[in-house]
Amino acid sequence: MKVELQNLTKIFPSRNKKENSEVIAVNNFTFEIPDGKLVGLLGPSGCGKSTTLYMISGLQKPTSGKIFFGDEDVTELTPENRGIGLVFQNYALYPHMTVKQNILFPLQNLKGEDKMDKETMLKRAYEAAKLVQIDELMDRKPSELSGGQQQRVAIARALVKMPRVLLLDEPLSNLDARLRLQTREEIRRIQRETGITTVFVTHDQEEAMSISDVIVVMKLGVVQQVGKPQEVYDNPTNLFVAKFLGTPPINVFDGEVKGGKLYLGESAVLDVPGVDDRAVYVGIRPEGFVPAEDGVLEANLSNVEVMGRDVSIVSTHSASLNPVVRSIVDADYKIDRASETVKLNLKPHKVFLFDKETEERIYFEVN
Amino acid sequence: MSDLNVMQNRDMKKVSAQQKVVKIIVKIMLYAFLITMGIIVLFPFYWMIISSLKTMDEYRLAIPTLIPQYFDFRNYVDVFTSKDLILGRLFLNTLYVGVVSTALSLVITVLSAFAFARLEFKGKDALFALLLATMMIPGELFTITNYQTVNTFGWMKTYTVLIVPFLVSIFYIYLLKQNFMQVPNELYLAAKVDGTSDIKYLWKVMIPLALPTIISITILKMMGSWNSYMWPRLVANDDAHRLITNGLRTAFTDASGVTDIPVQMAAVAVVSTPLFLVFIFLRKYIMKGVSRSGIKG
Amino acid sequence: MTESKQNVFQWFVEVFCKQWVWQKFCVNLVYKKFDKWKGWLYLSPALVLLAIFTIWPIFNTIRMSLLEGYTTMKAVNGQSFAFGIGNFTRVLKYPGFITCLKNTVLLCVLTVPISTFLALLIAVCLNSIKFLNRFLQTVFFLPYVTNSIAIGMVFAAMFNMIIGGSVRPDSVGIVNNVLEALGFNYVNWVNAGSEYWANIVVMTVYIVWNALPFKILILLGGLQSVNKQYYEAAKVDGTSRARTFWRITVPLLSPMLAYVIITGFIGGFKEYSSIVGIFGESMGPVGDAYALDTMVGFIYRAIGNQEGTASAAAIILFFIIFAVTMVNLYVSKKKTHY
Repeated sequence: MKVELQNLTKIFPSRNKKENSEVIAVNNFTFEIPDGKLVGLLGPSGCGKSTTLYMISGLQKPTSGKIFFGDEDVTELTPENRGIGLVFQNYALYPHMTVKQNILFPLQNLKGEDKMDKETMLKRAYEAAKLVQIDELMDRKPSELSGGQQQRVAIARALVKMPRVLLLDEPLSNLDARLRLQTREEIRRIQRETGITTVFVTHDQEEAMSISDVIVVMKLGVVQQVGKPQEVYDNPTNLFVAKFLGTPPINVFDGEVKGGKLYLGESAVLDVPGVDDRAVYVGIRPEGFVPAEDGVLEANLSNVEVMGRDVSIVSTHSASLNPVVRSIVDADYKIDRASETVKLNLKPHKVFLFDKETEERIYFEVN
Repeated sequence: MSDLNVMQNRDMKKVSAQQKVVKIIVKIMLYAFLITMGIIVLFPFYWMIISSLKTMDEYRLAIPTLIPQYFDFRNYVDVFTSKDLILGRLFLNTLYVGVVSTALSLVITVLSAFAFARLEFKGKDALFALLLATMMIPGELFTITNYQTVNTFGWMKTYTVLIVPFLVSIFYIYLLKQNFMQVPNELYLAAKVDGTSDIKYLWKVMIPLALPTIISITILKMMGSWNSYMWPRLVANDDAHRLITNGLRTAFTDASGVTDIPVQMAAVAVVSTPLFLVFIFLRKYIMKGVSRSGIKG
Repeated sequence: MTESKQNVFQWFVEVFCKQWVWQKFCVNLVYKKFDKWKGWLYLSPALVLLAIFTIWPIFNTIRMSLLEGYTTMKAVNGQSFAFGIGNFTRVLKYPGFITCLKNTVLLCVLTVPISTFLALLIAVCLNSIKFLNRFLQTVFFLPYVTNSIAIGMVFAAMFNMIIGGSVRPDSVGIVNNVLEALGFNYVNWVNAGSEYWANIVVMTVYIVWNALPFKILILLGGLQSVNKQYYEAAKVDGTSRARTFWRITVPLLSPMLAYVIITGFIGGFKEYSSIVGIFGESMGPVGDAYALDTMVGFIYRAIGNQEGTASAAAIILFFIIFAVTMVNLYVSKKKTHY
């Protein structure tokens, strides 16, 4: 099922009656979620990603704009009539019911022609449980389950009525680090197996990058960029997206373009054909540096962290806007720790220029 | 999984219209029910006030008036000048007993709660459990012996007998102790290392932090004095010490059991006014205290 | 310890402890020694009063209940009493006590379920509205801050007839006026010659009215602490209102419901002042005094003249309350879910 959001806007009235300050949680969001894909809504807290999810679910009404499932306008429909499955951040499993009862619950609500007999319901419940691999735990209560198991039950409950769209609100945030890795693979697998269009919300860019088909980066209610994870990473449209994606984060410098050359401090570091003379922000991915004898960028070396496969060079530079410049290079490069400085070359496709005012990307030709 | 897809193929427009109608009907029913219940709950108060403003003749009408024909405040004059009910005296008695017993009770409660919450001594837990267990016993069981005890002490028909026996409330100690326990123990240890005395610590740290609970206790205790009926009637039902509720129940009814209802309603309104005032201004504290208690007054 | 001695002691502690790295440990240790008696000192006012007015009565009441025909008057005159369970058997055979027991149980069985269900309904409705919410909350809590005797008198007035006319009373009371307007006959609720069932109806109405605010407050508090996501999850699953109420709200609220029901029964078995409010000290309509007497009423009338009987009745009351509470706890443990 394709999901289409048209000019979706949500404005919360201000809590303080005297001040007339409203909060625009989501601002003019237009986006089409292709059928059968896994989409990650990504952004820092308060960026409107959860509000968007809740509007898709029908639990919150948009202030303006429309939502389509396929060709149907569902904007005015209540959640139960939309045919969605929703997994809450803290799962919202009914504490007084067993796993089986929790999974059966949505099916028992069906009315009229959709009504099922007991056998079918039970069969469906076991199918859903098997899919998330909890069919052994059906008679336990939620309090007797681990966080990861509760998560699976919540997914099974959302899947059991074969929703048209599956929505996950911060699905991994309540799990510990090890379980998080495991569960995100699991979500990917379940989504592939069922082929249900799935939208999930997260503030963790790594999580979104690793499993989504498409990610949507949001900031203060406005969509910044939409695309395949790798595309967005390789080609950020503005400084915010560049800074938000990637660990370790991107290195940002104050730079200047003069006569088609990019200057960091005094030294020219890169040809940037087609860019007018101006001051710019320069973003360089940590993997965009190559140590070299004749490196164009000379930085003061402060530390070298060896991490097995890679080496992380920590240095400082007068033009850097971050406290340190961090570059990740292959462990084959031998760095002299005693040396005061390190010389680096740049990989042009890992260097991004941004306008100082709008922070929008300034493109240049990479040859 | 099964290929059945229950969510598909709905007539979306129809469903959307339907759910709107259902929503409105449910809302109307909700409000109709709540407002009806609200009127039923408030009606006695309304009836009390309008009856107190009627003459006896108007009150006797076969078809009663919902608004008095004219507002007659004579009943209130009667209440305050009645020889049957010396209202001023009853007010003062009740106020005196209420204030003194609340003040003393607070001191005892705070000290005990502090001891249970912060001090270490042998048998503390056992003692506290024992005290909690006595809360199970109905108060009437104590009253029988207490009646003898105060008689032996020669306290009958004094203010003392109205104040002293009920100074300690295990429930209030329990309430305050729970509140005190939420204050981190490190604060107490730090104060000890700095050489702060217990009393100073209690006064400067614990009491300000537990103030909402202390206010709740104060209000509930005052209301308790205002509403107490059984014990005062047993031990101090003389003209000098009678409390308000006792005075009220028997007033304005003559020997044959005929009651002058409008005047009686005026008296009830007068007695209820302080409670309403407290309610209006301190509702938050009362509700907070009550929601943690199970005991009225 | 005198003040000067204490000062010297404190000085000693300070000087001594400052010499050591483990100063903090030392101070704690010394204060712990103080605390041994300090705790008891702080508790002493409470303990003295409790010993006199709570602990001693427990033993004394048991003693009196086991001394046959005990009265204070005779005890003061030096009379001694036989030891035995005569008081209990006498109380249980006494018709007045049986009436009291019957009235108390009847009122409990009627008022607790009605008031609990109504309170639950009101709380759930209140919890699902926004407009007028605070106002209605205040309205429903108002009966709590009233004097049960005083408002009892108002209820009595609402049900009261004023006899005067030859064919029908001058005034039949506002409740009867409403009944007549709805096409029913008027009923003698509380006046002389009124029937028992009518009296019980009046008492039930009044006790339920009185019990509602506390129950609504507790249940509403419980509802507000229920995680909203359970309801959102139910909504997404298309759960009907009735099903949400019975399958989610009631089970999640079961601890509060149990609390409200247990306190309701305990209060119900101690019913007394609401009846005095409506019928006065005679605990019944004119000409039929004590028709609505209760256990507590029985105990109070025996104080001062028949302490043995009163004690026995109080202990019986205790055991009834204890048993009912235990049954309630047992049932609620089976029915409440976490």
